[in-house]
Amino acid sequence: MHTLWLTSRLLSRAIWNGISNLSTAADANLQRKKDPQIISAVCGFPKERKIQRLIKGQFGDDAWFTAKYKTADVLGVADGVGGWRAYGIDPGEFSLHLMQTCQRLVNMGRFTPTNPSELLARSYYELLHHKKAILGSSTACVVVLNKENSTLYTANIGDSGFMVVRRGKVIHKSEEQQHYFNTPFQLSLPPPGYQANVLSDQPDSAITNNFPVEDGDVILVATDGVFDNLPQSLLIKELCKVQGERCATRLQTVANSIAWMARNLSFDETFISPFAESAFANGINTIGGKPDDITVLLATVAI
Amino acid sequence: MSNLNEGPKKSSLELIYSGMIFLEQFVENVTSYSSRYNSISSILYAPENLTGKPSKYPNYGDDPNSYTLRSYGSWWNQSEAAQPAYMPQDVDPIPSEDFVTVRFKHGVFPESICIYETYNPGAVVRIWGHKMGNPWVLLWQGAPQLCLPSSRRFSPPIRQVKELINEIRIEFNQSMLSYYTSLDAVLLTGYQPKSLLQGELLQKGLFDCLDGCECDVNKCTPIHSGGDGLDLFASLPFEVMVHIFQYLDLKSLCRCAQVNKRWHSITFDPTLYREISLKRYWNRVDEIVMKHFITKCRNVKKLDISWCDIEKQITEPVFMEFLEKCCPNITHLSLGHCFSHSSSLGYLAKYGELTDLRLRNCKCNMNEYEALSNLSKLTALDLYCSNISDVYLIKILRANRDLKYLNLDLCELLERLDEVTEVISVFNPNLVMWSSWKTHSITSDGVKFLARCSSLRELDLGWCLLLNDPGNSLERIASNCKHLRRLILCGWRGVNDQLLLPIIRSCKEIRELDLLGMKNISVDICERILSSLPNLRLLDISFCDLIKPEQVVLWRQHYPNITIQQAL
Repeated sequence: MHTLWLTSRLLSRAIWNGISNLSTAADANLQRKKDPQIISAVCGFPKERKIQRLIKGQFGDDAWFTAKYKTADVLGVADGVGGWRAYGIDPGEFSLHLMQTCQRLVNMGRFTPTNPSELLARSYYELLHHKKAILGSSTACVVVLNKENSTLYTANIGDSGFMVVRRGKVIHKSEEQQHYFNTPFQLSLPPPGYQANVLSDQPDSAITNNFPVEDGDVILVATDGVFDNLPQSLLIKELCKVQGERCATRLQTVANSIAWMARNLSFDETFISPFAESAFANGINTIGGKPDDITVLLATVAI
Repeated sequence: MSNLNEGPKKSSLELIYSGMIFLEQFVENVTSYSSRYNSISSILYAPENLTGKPSKYPNYGDDPNSYTLRSYGSWWNQSEAAQPAYMPQDVDPIPSEDFVTVRFKHGVFPESICIYETYNPGAVVRIWGHKMGNPWVLLWQGAPQLCLPSSRRFSPPIRQVKELINEIRIEFNQSMLSYYTSLDAVLLTGYQPKSLLQGELLQKGLFDCLDGCECDVNKCTPIHSGGDGLDLFASLPFEVMVHIFQYLDLKSLCRCAQVNKRWHSITFDPTLYREISLKRYWNRVDEIVMKHFITKCRNVKKLDISWCDIEKQITEPVFMEFLEKCCPNITHLSLGHCFSHSSSLGYLAKYGELTDLRLRNCKCNMNEYEALSNLSKLTALDLYCSNISDVYLIKILRANRDLKYLNLDLCELLERLDEVTEVISVFNPNLVMWSSWKTHSITSDGVKFLARCSSLRELDLGWCLLLNDPGNSLERIASNCKHLRRLILCGWRGVNDQLLLPIIRSCKEIRELDLLGMKNISVDICERILSSLPNLRLLDISFCDLIKPEQVVLWRQHYPNITIQQAL
């Protein structure tokens, strides 16, 4: 009974998030302009079973955003580092503000479509200037579709990432950046006095990349909660379903199913997840999924 | 008669409006501003947040996504370094302290203007409008208001004008504000002509015919012709008349000049124009006005020409001629917001008597600042939001050893402030006021150099250190600057109770203390601040996470003389 109630809440939440995103997506669909654009859908779940807050753009400590400007469409996810909870800092705040600021910067045109790491850097420096001290750290991944040349420009710090699939083949996948096992690169604003003891990577340490995309290409931007729990083969299978999809609703269905699969597998204690494989490679003997916040941003390119 | 006239007029107006498109527009971009809270590169609290639809309204409170002004209340005017009125007899009854100019996509005949105020409303005192390139028209003015703490849509009744308007200038007077004000958006509604022809007709022809009827009434006001022709003033000697005229503002002087030949000649007496302030008339000061002044003025000592457009309206050669002919020994010069591009400043080097120079919001050719190092008598230098660089600032500081007041707020090109403060500690030991709000290159070492200026009374280091370690810089300040009255340390995230203690122990003259955004300071230390600083008038503890609102309410009751700020 309890699980049923929980499931329904999670599901309604997923749908709520989907719908709030749908409006913009459907809108873009109507225009049918010649400009290349991204059609997107989002779904995700917080790791904690009790739902603490309902803020658009946030799943637990994960955060995401989509934004459009006349020169580019932008997607991004960030995963707040949970360790800060022990210091009395809400890890979700940093990632949420990082993404919200990115979104505002894009909406105001304060970015260069060809330089997503600069966008991350700007957003990071803006956080410093909030009157309310925002502390913590986060991984981040930003994907920009430059409409001028139909090229995707990406920047990634840490273990969140993106994957671009064309007709069943992965044409690009982000690299993970880790200091050591399970400790990704991260942007951070540590509390004063802790600077020396905190891993802090500068925004310019982001791995950047750019490559042309074609009409119908599928882009998945997600946090490690997805990549650590879903084997790539399974992911590709799902992504193939929306090759060339322009209907935001159908995109949403697949985004939901990816998020659901990731969530179910993350609590499966017998499953040999990508995370378990990686742990094994690092000499740690473990099995099962990795319970984590999950964010799936699924998008297709329409040219 | 008038009834007969009104009938067709109304319907013709309706006819005109019905043929036009009714438009509601939000701001497309911000073209100019005189005040901002945050650095130029940042979007938090930036003027650019005025663009587009309201994002915060109807919520109330401090929001980084709205436009926030730098100051509030009268705290800034009470500073020792504040610019005194150069022409006390010509002070605006409702002085505008700051402005922001916003542009809309389409020019319209305005019907209403609505300003979305989402935090501490009430500061708007004037609204101007024009179409780019045309003269400004005053659409509304009124006194600053004391408002309830809730967000509001401020839509004052605006003058109906027969001009297309696509740019609006909003002027503020913050004197009634209890804390920072925030603006979310500006909505302009009005009628857009469908064709160019219609627009032209409306602006030139049709409206004039309609106005004609009204104007007749005004024209009939009787003018007193003096009656018996006895001019009592004629018996007064010239010098006495000049003395009387000294109490008149510029507008009245101009009117007097039209009375008769004698009065006309009196208004030409140069002693009337020793101290001029033209800021109030910013929209009307142009080449012709300045040339007129060139014929009148001979020995101007103080000149405030802020907000007047030297680049386009006055033009630089005319301004230089004015300075040369009329102000050879000028001591006070205020050029706030007069240049926006690569103007020159070099000509100021000639005016060696300058003691007080204010270049707020001036963006000139960077190398031009070097000329200022030829000055040697400066005591006050205000470079708020200007583009000065370290090299020239250091040169100026070395040359002006009597400098007392220095404002470097929001100067983004200053990258070696520690060096600057080191120079100050050697060359300008008598510094009284230092302000470097939101400049980030200063470290605790730089602050320690500043602490060597033992006569410091006002120290604004807001947002300078951010996450950097303050070290023992506060201790140094406490032990050396015993006469501090104003201390602004907001955004110093690394400060804790221990670091603040020395200040509280030894700087007993502190009147204003700003600790905004300090995450780690406790209730105890605040209690101690409140109880042990006898002169304290203002304490800002907004965004100090450990201090609860209930506690602040109690304090406000206990210490009614102290304004305790805590943002929503």
